[in-house]
Amino acid sequence: MKGICNVVAVELRLTVRDPMSAFFALAFPLIMLWVKLRGGNKPLPGGTPLVDATVPMLTVFVVGLATLVVLPATLAQYRERRVLKRLRVTPASPAMLFGAQWAAHTLLAVLGSALLILVGLVGYGLSGPASLPGVLLAWLLGALSLGSIGFLLGAVIPTGRAATVVGLGVFFPMVFLSGAMIPRESLSGSMRAIGDLTPMAPAVQAVRDGWTGGGVSPLTLGVMVAISIVAGGVALRTFRW
Amino acid sequence: MSGFSRVGDSRTMTAIIEINDLRKSYRSNAALDGVSLRVEQGEIFGIAGPNGAGKTTLVECASGLRRPDGGTLRVLGLDPEGDRRRLLQRIGAQLQEAALPDAVKVGEALRMYAALYDRPSDWRALMDEWGLADRKSVRFANLSGGWKQRLFIALALVGNPELVFLDELTTGLDPAARRTTWGLIRDIRRRGVTVVLVTHFMDEAEALCDRLAVIDRGHVVAEGTPVELIAKTGADSLENAYLTLTERTEAA
Repeated sequence: MKGICNVVAVELRLTVRDPMSAFFALAFPLIMLWVKLRGGNKPLPGGTPLVDATVPMLTVFVVGLATLVVLPATLAQYRERRVLKRLRVTPASPAMLFGAQWAAHTLLAVLGSALLILVGLVGYGLSGPASLPGVLLAWLLGALSLGSIGFLLGAVIPTGRAATVVGLGVFFPMVFLSGAMIPRESLSGSMRAIGDLTPMAPAVQAVRDGWTGGGVSPLTLGVMVAISIVAGGVALRTFRW
Repeated sequence: MSGFSRVGDSRTMTAIIEINDLRKSYRSNAALDGVSLRVEQGEIFGIAGPNGAGKTTLVECASGLRRPDGGTLRVLGLDPEGDRRRLLQRIGAQLQEAALPDAVKVGEALRMYAALYDRPSDWRALMDEWGLADRKSVRFANLSGGWKQRLFIALALVGNPELVFLDELTTGLDPAARRTTWGLIRDIRRRGVTVVLVTHFMDEAEALCDRLAVIDRGHVVAEGTPVELIAKTGADSLENAYLTLTERTEAA
């Protein structure tokens, strides 16, 4: 346990040290928050104040960015630069590598999300979460399910650049359609229907439900668990050093 | 060279690596075509041969990274394939072209690698011993070639191994850095760690290796101390002995 904590600590430092990932996970979501709320904190169709929808959905945006774009790019770059080749002749296993990478990138997203919530509370009159355990559980399962998909991408893509392209190609349609960038209430019915098929939709749904008091549905949580098991299992089987 | 005086007693020592008739093919190309050799405890054993001779494949089989097609292989008494996890706890390796993330600092790399092993060395002590303490906060990308190799050696030792594999460790180094690295490799042996050194520099093999195997086209064409190989070929240096040995198989 102490071992993996050391590995996570170093990986987290490497992640924060990279100016691009630090910017996209920490500063970029704040800029989005500012842009979204420039027009004031108007209620959305359905009555939820804009900020109470925006901050929870942007925390999913952050964790998606960290786990679907930054994580696979890191792993693929490690493969390209033969960092994995060196690790392969140590007792490190793919599962341990995934655990350490997931923890480091999720911690990066925790920082980004905490920053968003803080700015939301102080600057935009964000209401506190209706169910803090519900939000935490939903967000963590979101991180796990999206992280498993990120690991699946990072398990096989040969270069960092290719992984960034694929990661962004998966990430952007997902955030647009699943309501992580535009509140679900503002999406057209057909867009929402397509978005609901993406693995990010249950995360957005569950985090927002937990925040505004709608109650997190066990089915939504179950979907995220299923995604984690399937994507994570396939990733471990297909993983190449 | 120290190699000569060590021959007599090394025969009675325990085998760290025992390889018999090892075979490995890639498609129809035989990379290893019946290789047999024995590495004794506490020696620096060289594996030399032209590019594509099968040196790297041999090391990869011995460290459990590749599955041989045939023959038997015991490393530290373990089967590298079946007991891979246990073996990896007990060996250290620096394989060709392997690297670290650019942004990782020397101290962080040692700390992280130590964390991967059940019974690691004290990484701070290792950092001091290998003269890396002054560069603790230098990023990997900013180290010179010689310092990178020094870090790689320290990383290969951080798990407290009984055996280390070093594959073309000095390729691309300037002469001064190569000589320094030679000293470091001798220091590894002084700790009682067995070293398998893959090289295609004969001056290096002559200076460091107690014994070496010359491999060409998947065969061991000669095995012995540098002095024995020179005597066997009637050459005046190990370099010429090596050229004779690898030429002969080419003509055949």
